[in-house]
Amino acid sequence: MINKLLQYCLTIWAVLTLNFFLPRMIPGNPLAQLDTVEGLPVALSQEQRDQITAYYGLDQPLPTQYARYIRGLAHGDLGWSISYNAPVSDVLIGRLKWTALVVGASTVLYVLLGIALGGLSAWHHHRIIDKVILLGGSALGALPSFFVGMLLVMLFAVRLRWLPLSGARSATSLGATGGAYLGDIARHMILPVMALVLTSVGQVSYLTRNALVQVLGQGYITAARARGLRERSLLVRHALPNALLPVVAFVALRLGFIAMGAVMIETTFAFPGIGLAIVEASTSRDYAMLQGAFAVVTVSIIVANIIGDLLQHVIDPRLRRPVQ
Amino acid sequence: MSLFAIRRSLLAHPLALVGLILLTTLVAMAAAAPLLTPYALEDSFAPMLTPSSEHILGTNDLGYDLWTELLHGARTSLTLSLSAATLACGLGLLVGGLTNASPAAGTVIMRLIDIMLAVPRFPLIILMAAFIRPDSRSLALFFVLFGWPSVARIVSATLRTESQADHVLAARALGASRGRILIRHLLPSAIPVTMTRWVAEVQHIIMAEAGLSFLGLGDPTLRTWGMTLSHARRYAALWISDVWQWWVLPPGIAIAAVCLSLVMIGLGLDQITSPEMA
Repeated sequence: MINKLLQYCLTIWAVLTLNFFLPRMIPGNPLAQLDTVEGLPVALSQEQRDQITAYYGLDQPLPTQYARYIRGLAHGDLGWSISYNAPVSDVLIGRLKWTALVVGASTVLYVLLGIALGGLSAWHHHRIIDKVILLGGSALGALPSFFVGMLLVMLFAVRLRWLPLSGARSATSLGATGGAYLGDIARHMILPVMALVLTSVGQVSYLTRNALVQVLGQGYITAARARGLRERSLLVRHALPNALLPVVAFVALRLGFIAMGAVMIETTFAFPGIGLAIVEASTSRDYAMLQGAFAVVTVSIIVANIIGDLLQHVIDPRLRRPVQ
Repeated sequence: MSLFAIRRSLLAHPLALVGLILLTTLVAMAAAAPLLTPYALEDSFAPMLTPSSEHILGTNDLGYDLWTELLHGARTSLTLSLSAATLACGLGLLVGGLTNASPAAGTVIMRLIDIMLAVPRFPLIILMAAFIRPDSRSLALFFVLFGWPSVARIVSATLRTESQADHVLAARALGASRGRILIRHLLPSAIPVTMTRWVAEVQHIIMAEAGLSFLGLGDPTLRTWGMTLSHARRYAALWISDVWQWWVLPPGIAIAAVCLSLVMIGLGLDQITSPEMA
């Protein structure tokens, strides 16, 4: 376990170092990106140039810059965003809660729904309902999340006018408090969450189904059945807990994919989370913002993976036994 | 398991068979694109034409024929994903074999792979794309670069298990060389898992490429499905008229068709690697 933690730390370090070197590996100086016509419409003045150079210490040798970068990170300094004219960390903290809300809500929903459907599928193994769930889940999973998002917007926001088109809050309820405030946010979250749940649920249900089918074939289940236990309690109380072990690992790993889904979905719905920040930063060439958002997303995913690993050790005693 | 046996089991699995037929059809349509449309990509017509016998899917706001765009999108997306996934699997197989051939180098390589796999791929690809603004070749390179570690890991694990198998021990007892054992006896056992990875890789690349183009980070000179969708989304009157039916649906369904055919092939492969499941 210590080994694994060490490896994760090494990974985080590798990512942050890559984050530092990537813009510096590109030919020309880092400011060259800003000098091009697509970069900034107005050329930088000498004063601005000096200011940015001094801010990032671009005139210093590379090791000094690197030390400075790491020291800055340790203090939570992710650089200065040129498009927001504010510290990157401030902008990202404001964005993080929206992403956490959407990713959190959809993860809870698709995992619960996936386990339920997977259970149903294993219960009716080889029967028509199993095949319907399997194929339905796979077909939904084959759709790009942004495409599903676009269709949901078309149906629920444009045609039926039940739900808002985009954003996280409506302009009319900015001053609202309490229930109205939460209700407004919830209404904006329904479609993004739905798109993520629809495209992710199939994988959880397939995994749960396979794990359950395997567990149901084991001796202790036969023994329990021989004791005359009801089939339902057999499935829910005896088989499911063991079958959920791979699901836990999967969900932790899946967070990386959800990050991809979140970037696409936030763009589709103009939902002001970190994913949208990444896309905006890359179109406006706000590199400090881009790198900061990347560092935050990557580190959160790796931390989620560490938590998933630890959780598995807690719930599966077999993993705690030392390997010969 | 021999390739022949895999092919036989795949063809015997109804879902996998449907998947194979679907994928072959799509690849054939992409290959025959110039025969299936009378127009070239650059030809432009009156904008916003509705579907007719001249323009099966109508034209977009710039007057480009959408059916032609769809077919050429298939060419780009399929060429990119099939070739990048194949290269990634080849490289993974090679490195996986290498870890078996030299255990000392293997340990180092596996540590490196663990680190590479812990980095979430898509944010990294976005970051690199934002800095480098890739053309189709560097895009393919990205996908190979991020694709091979997972193949190498599973190949290496399979080889390690398989090297304790009776037939391998027997070959070793008979004095077969390390290289011969690796090539004749070990690598064939890694083929089913590599194929499973290949299917997953192609799917991942199709989705990721469509996603990048949708975000405007792909190669702007390429016509891909993601690019068509991204362009459609920026058209203001997209949803209030019927244009979405021939502008948005076809590329989305095309992506889904490729991915679904791969999922079905994957289900068939799953049955080969773990027969008790399906």
